[in-house]
Amino acid sequence: MSALFARLILRPLWADRGRTMVTLASIALGVAVIFAMDLAGEAAAGSFRSSMETVSGGEDIEILSTGGLPADLLGRLSGLPYPLRYSPRIEDFAIVNEKRTVPLFGVDVFANALELAEAGNRAEPKLTEAGQRGVFTTAGLGRRGESIRLQVNDEAHDFTILGTIDSRQVSGDLVLLDLEDADLVTGRQGKIDRILVTLPETEKAAVDQWAERLRQGMPEGITVRPVGARKEENRKMLAAFRWNLRVLSYIALLVGAFLIYNTISVSVVRRRAEIGIVRAVGGTGRLMVAGFLAEALFFGLAGGLLGLALGRILAEGAVKLVGLTVTALYVSSTAAPVEFAWSAAAVSLGSGVLVSLLAALAPALEAGRIPPTEAMARGRVDTQLQAAAGRQLAYAGALLGLSWALSLLPPWGGKPMGGYVATLALVGAASFTAPSLVAFVGRRMTGWAGVEALLAGRSLAGALRRSSVLVAALATAIAMMTSVGIMVGSFRETMLTWIDRQIRADFYLRPAGEAAMDRHPTISEDVARRIEQIPGVLAVDRFRAYSIRYNGLPVILAAGDVQAQMRYGRTSLQKGDNADAVRGMLAGEAVIVSEPFGEKHGVKVGDRITVPLGQARPSFRVAGIFLDYSSENGYIILDQSVARRYLPADEPSNLAIYADEKADRAALRARIEASYAPRRIALFENRSLRNEAVRIFDQTFAVTYALEAVAIFVAVMGVAGAMLALIIDRRREIGLLRFLGGAAGQVRRMVLFEAGLIGLFSQLLGVLSGALLSLVLIFVINKQSFGWTIEFHLPVLALLSALAFVLLATILAGLYPARMATRLNPIEVMHEE
Amino acid sequence: MTRRQWLAATTFLKAIPGWRYEFPRDHFSHPAFRTEWWYYTGNVADAQGRPFGFELTFFRAALAESVERRNVWSTRDAYMAHLALTDIAGKAFYHSERLNRPGPGLAGVDAARGRIWNGNWESLVQPEAHRLRAVAEKFSFALDLAVAKPPVIHGHGGVSQKGPLAGQASHYISFTRLEAGGEIVLGAERFRVRGSAWMDHEFFSSELDEKLAGWDWFSIQLDNREELMLYRLRQKDGAASPWSAGSYVRADGRIEHLEAAELELEPGRKWKNYPVAWRVRVKRLGIDLLAEPRLDSQELLSKAKLTPSYWEGAMVFRGSHRGLGYLEMTGYDDRVLFTRREGVRK
Repeated sequence: MSALFARLILRPLWADRGRTMVTLASIALGVAVIFAMDLAGEAAAGSFRSSMETVSGGEDIEILSTGGLPADLLGRLSGLPYPLRYSPRIEDFAIVNEKRTVPLFGVDVFANALELAEAGNRAEPKLTEAGQRGVFTTAGLGRRGESIRLQVNDEAHDFTILGTIDSRQVSGDLVLLDLEDADLVTGRQGKIDRILVTLPETEKAAVDQWAERLRQGMPEGITVRPVGARKEENRKMLAAFRWNLRVLSYIALLVGAFLIYNTISVSVVRRRAEIGIVRAVGGTGRLMVAGFLAEALFFGLAGGLLGLALGRILAEGAVKLVGLTVTALYVSSTAAPVEFAWSAAAVSLGSGVLVSLLAALAPALEAGRIPPTEAMARGRVDTQLQAAAGRQLAYAGALLGLSWALSLLPPWGGKPMGGYVATLALVGAASFTAPSLVAFVGRRMTGWAGVEALLAGRSLAGALRRSSVLVAALATAIAMMTSVGIMVGSFRETMLTWIDRQIRADFYLRPAGEAAMDRHPTISEDVARRIEQIPGVLAVDRFRAYSIRYNGLPVILAAGDVQAQMRYGRTSLQKGDNADAVRGMLAGEAVIVSEPFGEKHGVKVGDRITVPLGQARPSFRVAGIFLDYSSENGYIILDQSVARRYLPADEPSNLAIYADEKADRAALRARIEASYAPRRIALFENRSLRNEAVRIFDQTFAVTYALEAVAIFVAVMGVAGAMLALIIDRRREIGLLRFLGGAAGQVRRMVLFEAGLIGLFSQLLGVLSGALLSLVLIFVINKQSFGWTIEFHLPVLALLSALAFVLLATILAGLYPARMATRLNPIEVMHEE
Repeated sequence: MTRRQWLAATTFLKAIPGWRYEFPRDHFSHPAFRTEWWYYTGNVADAQGRPFGFELTFFRAALAESVERRNVWSTRDAYMAHLALTDIAGKAFYHSERLNRPGPGLAGVDAARGRIWNGNWESLVQPEAHRLRAVAEKFSFALDLAVAKPPVIHGHGGVSQKGPLAGQASHYISFTRLEAGGEIVLGAERFRVRGSAWMDHEFFSSELDEKLAGWDWFSIQLDNREELMLYRLRQKDGAASPWSAGSYVRADGRIEHLEAAELELEPGRKWKNYPVAWRVRVKRLGIDLLAEPRLDSQELLSKAKLTPSYWEGAMVFRGSHRGLGYLEMTGYDDRVLFTRREGVRK
């Protein structure tokens, strides 16, 4: 048996090294992409630490509140008769020396001095250093004694580095300073962002009971929960994002599956004679099936193992891309180091093997059915396939219908499962259409481009099995490219339209520094007041954002000037009545929410929602839902007068300035800039804010672009390999052509025509199915997992250029096989028979 | 200018004769002085006679004479506190320390409410009793200490002199007999206890004289309702300083001051570096006592380099009289609480 396997399977594989390598490489790439995306996803979106988690010791419970906790709460807690340790924290971000943004922590240097020295932890300052105006940083930010400039909100402060923190204890760079200084630079005015509670060793298991005990008598706006909750929250928040990444990564493997199918069926077809002989001397059909499945297993395992190695390397790059997306869209974070996860490795390898076996099943079964006598009768199977093409078209129709039905399903467990399966069904439908398309067009190729084109078309139609599989593989990759391209393009277009509608103010101000979803640095109120005094300024809309939690998920709560918005901006509601919303918001009984918030939390106009605000937990009517593409977590917006009731003395995070049309913009800009100097504030004009949004958008989709590129690469490589196989397989036929007087140039042209035709067919199928896929992506998967309404836009230019590139790549992929074909010595080839 | 010199140049008040004591005001904080402490120690036992020793100490150390108050976290005084429980029958010693800024009510002294506290360790000082409450990881207690004798002011002219220079001294007040009653919770067990406690309150601005290594301090409550407080200031050469002193409190509350020459203190058996057993003699008063610790290992071992370790434990006294009390020995690990800290880093 093993000898037979070696001779029947391994030896031909070795003899046909080129094609074997291509198949192996495609499986390897598919597995590598899955593995890399899984590892990177885990590091950047799973076991990552949000920047605020970078310094955590053995704390068990956290206490927090929108807009901060009053310091008195700490005093009250510390007097309770419980054996607990309380660590107050001020948490913010600082721009270090005008370059990098790092987390900034205000800690109680006094209380920590004893405890941390006790634990042998040198991360914390000594008492003798307390009271000095200085900070502690990780070594990456400077050395002891150096001075360091920290920009927090819109102001820069100079400090001396009193000591460095052992960076092994934290992930990523950070700045630590005493609460007194932290309060001053962040403008907290006595508020604390979090109080971390440490339980005694013996009570660690009872964390929930302790949280409940601490909750007693606490104002209801204050959240008390186990420390792990934030991590859980982040996991939950990122679940949909990770799922989509994962699904996207499997498409590369799907493309690989077609190539496996192709390789194995070529193996079967080419070894019909050998199979016939083995069958004739007593080999059973079952033995044949086992043999070819073993070949597939070999491809799956060998390719898969290669893929794991490659994937581990790719993950390092991927984690950066995924990290960018996570930070831009969700939470300021530091990716965890990429770790080789055995479970992820098993899943990736398993998928590779499974897909290989499934792809090989049909050709292997066919090998088992070959009767000894028919072994020599070439071409029979292809005839059968042609007969079956009609039936396959019917399958395609059925799958198309199925995908339509699936896309109507509601999300399952918060995930667009119906949508995912619908995409598979669509890919299937496209693949089943391939044989009919190739046969139909191929047979009707006339001599418009010469006899070579005719021959190319005919031979593709003749070798229907292989050519249609190639077309299906390439079409899948193109469909993916097209659909994702259309989706991203539509999204981009929708967002731009929205921005144009949304951004009506003339100038926007925010504290300088990188923007992120969960950072809300503020601008001093006196800046806003000064700007209001400038002639030519009609209104200054203050916008203040807070990160809060709603139903265990992060949400942005924002307070704005509803009147200025309605008078000068033109925020219109997607659902709900404008006038009613304004009235309700001004009266303090209503809020408006963004569309993703509504989708995610199942909130409709007229519902009531309860939000934690300071120490209270008021409830509001949802008066409207507005379109928003800036946050996946969603917004709750209330009027600033209402926010001030619960969160007094808070400064704005953004200012929108509406100017008189007649005012000289350049002069106005100069006066605004002069009004806040030397504060660290970034001013955006209408147009530059738009560019900024586009930049962030593109950064967000960097991963998607990378995944697409891999799938296309796999497909084009597959076509090259398969064309080569096709040529080798048709040596006799080509030899005959040459023998009959075909010139080398003609043969080359014929091969290139074949490659081009494969490209063309794939494009046709790919673009069509891709357009359908994009509908599923936009209206089902996106809507169910992110909640955005995206208008369909065809990014024609981008698509056309991508398609032209693929066509060119396929023709180029035919160059080497074409050269091989012309090199064949006709006489030698004829003598082989 | 070193920090030491700078501190010397500040104008903290010195403990010099002439302080006019006024109670209850002087039971509370004296921010004009640099350092201040409130020290409770006591020996108690439950109804079955199971004995315990306890210590609860509050320290205040001014970081600077005046500090600009920029926000709630601004800190002029650092507050430290020590808590210890000696389970004599169980042969176990538990102790815990904490350091806090006043912040939003984290630690401090509030004369108006009669409260001296550090987190959930507190003493409510009322005219008739001091109520102690303290919670640690392994134990907690709530003890009411009824004032059985009026406060004693040690030394001459209201000053307990500890060196040759003016101001090398402290204002030193003691409650030498407090009747203790309350509850001790140790692990899962609760004990209703009764016994006797002692409270010391000192405030001063000076550092310990350069020649001194530390001190050995005794509080002895004799069963004839008389009390003896004495301390030996130990020079670096090992000899007793002439500034060592003591006080004897008669049953009726009369006080006799004891000079260094009258005190005969002989260290005996050692545990680690500490001479835990002593012979204490004051011939004039007919006192000749053998002092033994109720448990050897009563060292408040500081794991942090920030604060020194010292031994402070429950003692039993036999001989001419019988009694219970506490012994404190500092300077055996080369660091003395507060007073020498700056001296270490020049």
